[in-house]
Amino acid sequence: MKTQPPNDVAEQGARVFATTRWSIVLAAQDRESPDSRKALASLCLTYWYPVYAFVRRRGHAAHDAQDLTQEFFATLLEKSYLRSVDRERGRFRTFLLTAVSRFLSNQRERSRASKRGGGNQPLSLDFATGESRYRHEPADAWTPERLFDRRWAFTLLDTVLARLEDEYRRQEKGPLFERLQDYITGDGGGSAYAETAAALDMTEGAVKVAVHRLRRRYRETLREEIAATVESPDEIDDELKRLFDAIA
Amino acid sequence: MKRTPMTETHQCPECGAELTVDAPRGLCPACLLKQGFESSPAENLAETAAPASRFTAPTSEELARRFPQLEILELLGQGGMGAVYKARQPSLDRLVAIKILPIDAGRDPAFAERFTREARALARLSHPHIVGIYDFGQADGLYYFVMEYVDGVNLRQLVASRQLSPQQALALVPQICEALQFAHDEGIVHRDVKPENILLDKRGRVKIADFGLAKLLGRTAGEATLTRVEQVMGTPLYMAPEQMQSSHAVDHRADIYSLGVVFYEMLTGELPLGRFAPPSQKVHVDVRLDEIVLRTLEREPDRRYQHASDVKSEVESIVSRSAPTPTPVDNVASTKCCSQVRAPAIGLVITGILNWIWVTVMVAVFSYVMTFGLESERRQLEPQLLTVVGITILTLSACIMFAGFKMLRCQAYPLAIIGSLLAMLVGPAILIGLPIGIWALVVLTQPEVRRAFRRGRDGDRAPNLRRAQAPARPFQLLAVAGFALMLVSGLLFVAGSPTINVMPRNSANFLGSRWPARACLFGSSPRRSVRPRKNRRRNASRSNQHRSRKRASFTLTELPAASQRVYEPSVC
Repeated sequence: MKTQPPNDVAEQGARVFATTRWSIVLAAQDRESPDSRKALASLCLTYWYPVYAFVRRRGHAAHDAQDLTQEFFATLLEKSYLRSVDRERGRFRTFLLTAVSRFLSNQRERSRASKRGGGNQPLSLDFATGESRYRHEPADAWTPERLFDRRWAFTLLDTVLARLEDEYRRQEKGPLFERLQDYITGDGGGSAYAETAAALDMTEGAVKVAVHRLRRRYRETLREEIAATVESPDEIDDELKRLFDAIA
Repeated sequence: MKRTPMTETHQCPECGAELTVDAPRGLCPACLLKQGFESSPAENLAETAAPASRFTAPTSEELARRFPQLEILELLGQGGMGAVYKARQPSLDRLVAIKILPIDAGRDPAFAERFTREARALARLSHPHIVGIYDFGQADGLYYFVMEYVDGVNLRQLVASRQLSPQQALALVPQICEALQFAHDEGIVHRDVKPENILLDKRGRVKIADFGLAKLLGRTAGEATLTRVEQVMGTPLYMAPEQMQSSHAVDHRADIYSLGVVFYEMLTGELPLGRFAPPSQKVHVDVRLDEIVLRTLEREPDRRYQHASDVKSEVESIVSRSAPTPTPVDNVASTKCCSQVRAPAIGLVITGILNWIWVTVMVAVFSYVMTFGLESERRQLEPQLLTVVGITILTLSACIMFAGFKMLRCQAYPLAIIGSLLAMLVGPAILIGLPIGIWALVVLTQPEVRRAFRRGRDGDRAPNLRRAQAPARPFQLLAVAGFALMLVSGLLFVAGSPTINVMPRNSANFLGSRWPARACLFGSSPRRSVRPRKNRRRNASRSNQHRSRKRASFTLTELPAASQRVYEPSVC
């Protein structure tokens, strides 16, 4: 999946997530540290699409929006933008939304032509896919902010499922995951356990155990991913509620 | 076996939500997020039945076959908690609602027993603010409740329509509290208080639906199996933190938290998520409400209100003490009261004006006499006294007029009372002032007029209701104190007049002759009759000292020696 974090971060596994990546960035906001830079870059790489969708929904044409998004991330990563992070708004999601809104309003005042093209591109973003994805967004159904939150939630879920799938594949349980992923939300969308058991050549009891493990792992992964974007683990439930509200 | 919402179904089989094309891997995003909560307050009902069964709401025709005694009219809605139909019960000629639970009766024999037990408990909840249960049972494998039909809207629709003012919300909260308290007293916890479950009939009365259903459809800890879907039923947005952590430790205080979320949403239109602002920072509501709302939203159940009735009494005390809603009904009453108040208020203004006119005429006459009058006439005049009396009357009349103007706007109740009293007591226009003052007092003492004044005062403060706790404005206090002072000094002047008459005139100094008199009045004892002679002597000598200062600059006119006849130094 294109919004996968870079390998070095992904490979560090759950331990990194437990310490929350956004908290690393926040802790290092006063001084530049390679760790915090890497953490921020990996977060941006994961959640770039909501930003792009936000910029597009703000009325910028595809080409402009791509330039602006790239420029925004460049500014974010290069300059000490983080010093302006308001501790009160300690979540990465709210921070990114505030930052991009501010960036766009400042951008309007400046002459943009001179700034374009010259800057380096620290993140390689797949704008072609992004744009084709954006074209499927319902027109004018949501405000830019709501679209941003909604896309954020979907990106988060995509990331979690991709991570989970990757984990199963590495344990050579890819087919099992494919079969069982529908059980994450419920009981399998009409497929009886017996049927799945037969297809997987397992006993029904074994399938139930596998489903139980998958759900538990899914929950852990989801909470880890959310923990990576908030300041403290206490905020996970609240962030979940917010995202739930955003997609409702 | 992968679910393909594009071709098969566009609805989530778990929560019934519409699935969009971009749903992550064809899975319902809401259900995916719900999975993130540590535990569930009510585990998936599908597990209660059997994995393979999916609930699809029966059509009206299907239902009509199962309930021949009812006329099924329409499907009102369906969701995670089942489907609700509107029906008519011809025998009693009344409308009823039928709720079909999403349970496959055949799959879980244990459910039947639990259903009967819980339903009996729920049916005992007979309260004006709780949707009544008429009947329940099982018909051809469907568990159902026949319930009171509420013709109206639910709170979700009302909040979404943005027609709910904070004041109306304050009127609804006590009713919700009453219903919750009643159920809690019966040992029943709702567990799923949310705007969708709070109905309002056409008269605006609250009716809470789906009491205890979350528990009935959920399962207890002992029944949990390996495969249970630990899923939050309905929305987790209104759920207490402990309810998300563990469904076992949930008691009635979880309902109080949910009530707090609903309360916050009713006031502000938003959910109290993250670091949320207190309601008074978002809308114009009494700042004391913040405390109530925030206390219902405490994370720790022990720090919340322990009873729904406590929330009710706190809200009611604020509502009764502060601005009552200017509802249409109130506005009508206000208008009526104001028209009642208008006539005496105008009367007060006229009294004040008449006093002024009188004083002006008297000044003119006085000036005329002083300029062109005969010597004997001039001698009879006492310009000093007249000046003081004139100024006092002018000031007090100004008070009367001001009070009249305030009264016209139904504001400043104490001032209106003072104005009415002054109109009765002060000035030459007392002939009309007396009846008008009495009239004004009679009108002002009426309870509805007092209420109208309270509304006027609160309306006046509306832009900064948040300062409702602050004492009355300093300006008002100052005004009242000033009027009181003027009234007292006016009375003292009147009382002092006889004394003034016996004061020496030979000094030909108005103030010089007044001050000792005032010193007498404000001194240790103003009453000649009760004064011991010794003190009188001392005061008299003090008066003489004063007089001897001869403040020539204050001399207004030379008084004839004839007036000295009244001078008796020892009387003071």
